[in-house]
Amino acid sequence: MKSDTKFGMKSGNKAGPTNQQTGDTAAALRKTAGEMQTLAHEILEHGIKKGADRIKVGTSGSITRRLVVENKEVSLANSLEDQKFSLLVHKDQKKGSATTNIVRAESIRKGVEDALALASFSVADPALNMPDSSVAPKAVALDFMFDERTADTTLAEIQELMGQALARATKDKRVAIDKFEMSVSTSFHALYNSLGVAQSELQTMIGWSFFGMGVDGDAVSGFDYDSGFAWKTGDTAARLMETAESFAAKVTANLHPRKANSYKGLVVFSPRAVEELLTGFMLYHASGSAVMDGKSRWQDEVGKAVVSPVITLRDQPHNPAFAGVTTFDGDGMPTRDHVLFDSGKLCMHLHDCYSAKRCKTTSNHMSGGPFGMSLAPGGSLLADLLRSRREILLVDRFSGNTDAIKGDFSGVAKSSRLYVDGKDSGAVTETMIAGNFFEFAKKIEAASLETEAVGGSFTSPWLLVDGISVTGG
Amino acid sequence: MKEMLKKLVAQNSAQDNSYIELRYHKRQSNSFMAQRGRVDVANHSLVEGVGVRAMIDGAWGFAATARVDETSILRAIEQARHNALTIVAGRGKKVAHLQKGKMAVVDWTGPGFAELLAMPIADKLGAVINFERQLAKSSKALHTARCRYNELLEEKIIVTSDGAAASARIALPEFSMSAIAEKDGERATSSRGAGVSGGWTCLYNHPALDNMVEETARTAVDLLSAKHPEGGKKTVILAPAVVGLLCHEAIGHTVEADFVKTGSVAQGKIGTSVASKLVTMADTGCETIAGYAVGNIPFDDEGVETETTTIIKDGVLVSYLHNRESAAEFGVAPTGNARAWLFNDEPLIRMRNTFLQPGTSKLTDMISEIDDGYLVEGAGSGQADSNGEFMFGTGYVWQIKDGKKTELLREATLSGIAFDVLQTVDAVSSEFRWDLGTGYCGKGQPAKVDAGGPYIRCKMNVGGRQG
Repeated sequence: MKSDTKFGMKSGNKAGPTNQQTGDTAAALRKTAGEMQTLAHEILEHGIKKGADRIKVGTSGSITRRLVVENKEVSLANSLEDQKFSLLVHKDQKKGSATTNIVRAESIRKGVEDALALASFSVADPALNMPDSSVAPKAVALDFMFDERTADTTLAEIQELMGQALARATKDKRVAIDKFEMSVSTSFHALYNSLGVAQSELQTMIGWSFFGMGVDGDAVSGFDYDSGFAWKTGDTAARLMETAESFAAKVTANLHPRKANSYKGLVVFSPRAVEELLTGFMLYHASGSAVMDGKSRWQDEVGKAVVSPVITLRDQPHNPAFAGVTTFDGDGMPTRDHVLFDSGKLCMHLHDCYSAKRCKTTSNHMSGGPFGMSLAPGGSLLADLLRSRREILLVDRFSGNTDAIKGDFSGVAKSSRLYVDGKDSGAVTETMIAGNFFEFAKKIEAASLETEAVGGSFTSPWLLVDGISVTGG
Repeated sequence: MKEMLKKLVAQNSAQDNSYIELRYHKRQSNSFMAQRGRVDVANHSLVEGVGVRAMIDGAWGFAATARVDETSILRAIEQARHNALTIVAGRGKKVAHLQKGKMAVVDWTGPGFAELLAMPIADKLGAVINFERQLAKSSKALHTARCRYNELLEEKIIVTSDGAAASARIALPEFSMSAIAEKDGERATSSRGAGVSGGWTCLYNHPALDNMVEETARTAVDLLSAKHPEGGKKTVILAPAVVGLLCHEAIGHTVEADFVKTGSVAQGKIGTSVASKLVTMADTGCETIAGYAVGNIPFDDEGVETETTTIIKDGVLVSYLHNRESAAEFGVAPTGNARAWLFNDEPLIRMRNTFLQPGTSKLTDMISEIDDGYLVEGAGSGQADSNGEFMFGTGYVWQIKDGKKTELLREATLSGIAFDVLQTVDAVSSEFRWDLGTGYCGKGQPAKVDAGGPYIRCKMNVGGRQG
């Protein structure tokens, strides 16, 4: 193990080479956003003049300050300014697109011409469409997404927080941190189209992630990770410390694994495993793109029970608990809350404007979605779920292959544990799980009362699932 | 551009003897995807900028600018220096020095760059549309045919304050096709793909694309009636793509010096036996076996000339993979493994082309010596862990019974502890192929890498169903 961390702070250091004033970051970004908006409108006109039937221009920009810690030492201080234009043109029912980070009128005009050239060589598709401002009115901003003070968080302030978090995470000397990163990012993204749609949004976010393992003498655990975020500086310290403790607990728990016995039957999925093995399949078969291509098994199942009645899944694009919140989707349609599955019944297919037109329905504003999902808790204690079988595997992560179409999955149960008579008997190694989503989806027997956030985009209870093959090493 | 970068480096490193590294990167890419008779993706992208690393008093600062004029680059240099100064007081252990390697002073244009740059975009998109149509028509059992083409045209200039001043232009095209077959509600998927460092002709001459339309369709249809393999520890023959995945995921990541420092399973194992004596494994930035491997780069993103780094020689671990900082710490020469995905990414220790050296056995003999096992073809995705535990998916497997390749079986997941599995290798074929050219390695940033090897025979866990 390396020496203990010594974190110092040079007084007076700010994020940039010049003295920074409160509001500088936001002002700089707003100026960039304004310039890009002006350019975007010029490009909309240019595209139509050049023969496009419709054109969409996306702009984005960010100012990010980031620190990286490797082996308990700050290894890099990083500051980045980024901008991007993305262009989509439709001409004669064909499409072409272009992206560039060169924010100059002549480069972006060239991008329009490249996109038009690609469209001319493409294949006609009558379903191509863009919304107009009558169906995509200006979205209402979410106040919690932006904080001027947070935008001005300096590298020195980040460094101070990281020092505290690192001390917390490595209190147990068996915790080996490969990489610990923290960043503050102020960003905007905007979307304009030639049919009058104009959306924009500004946000600040402080994010962090830990990646590492447990090392105890010659014993090395598998890698594990944890991450979190906050919208405001004031909320950061407490959440960061929670993540540091959670990460340390995970990697030390993974040490000294044992082999599991093979069986087929009940396992418990942690919230991380639920995200990897359940919601991925559910969203694929509910997606408008799978439905329009005839790949979904749930083509005609809206309103019908498709998974266990234990499952109620919501999308909440305006909930501050989720990092992916947004006020408008990739088509420029204002986002809104949805119940996607209600007590096992499929409530809707997830359509953007394109898949909706192909399926002769209307968009439910899901281009790029869902944006922040929560699976409803159940009525059982996790401890009771872990007593459901004399020997039961608690699957925490899944590393393997999934076939979305067939529903098959097969891979290694990572960071997973064996419970015997309800008691934790340690981490497992070389343990593989396999099964089929359509077989187990109706055999989800219970959900826990307890829930946990996964990576800022999903919250879920633990689930008791039947029909899983466990192959011990 | 190179002269401007040289001038800026000279001006800004002299003042306090700091290290300055400027990296200009321009990437043009074209991406096309056709499926079910329509074009889903037809995109052109252009990105450029300059990344700046500064090391002052043993601390790194990084900044980047997408504006490539002198004023903007100067501002980025000032920002990177400021960032280094911000953290220098907080570092307990400073970077002592950067190990000097063979610093590149070259202007290099890779094969196929001019060909791809000059080729009309209509021809490239047209080929994708035509291949998709051919595949769709090749069998009535196909529900979906899909083709993708992606090309990266990379232009890089690297100038460092300790001697590197080099430029490179590299063309990286890749093509893949996949088919979904359907019968009585049952579905099966098959795919083929290849990527090269080269031009259009080189890409379509890749052996993985031989008879690609017929092979892709036939495999998807055959897999409709295929069974799942039986789970458990099995004798397996791994095809070159799967060997490449094993080399990359299971061994390569554990010998990246940053992971070694954290405590990967390879830590402290230099000079010890980690594999069967039949195993010699290397990572190279300048392969000459076929000449088209995707990870061919004349110098890395610290300006160090690349060469072939032998990792395991006759079963003994002999080297880790290094950047200049880790090489100094380990007291060895840098291996040219510092790579950054874009100008605004800092260089990390990454693989290039990772492979097992071919041996002397013949595949047919290797099969004939197995009573009960599998021939594993078609690599899927894979992941490895710090403790050497790996997992990777395969496209499909062939049952081997009584010395004969018999039944086609559905995809399987393979896992094991890397060094344990390599100790079980008892045959290595003379046949060799690079076969992961469509792959991207993920380690915070993507990286274009390749991997391959001969066929090898070993024992490992095959994931399957329990009764």
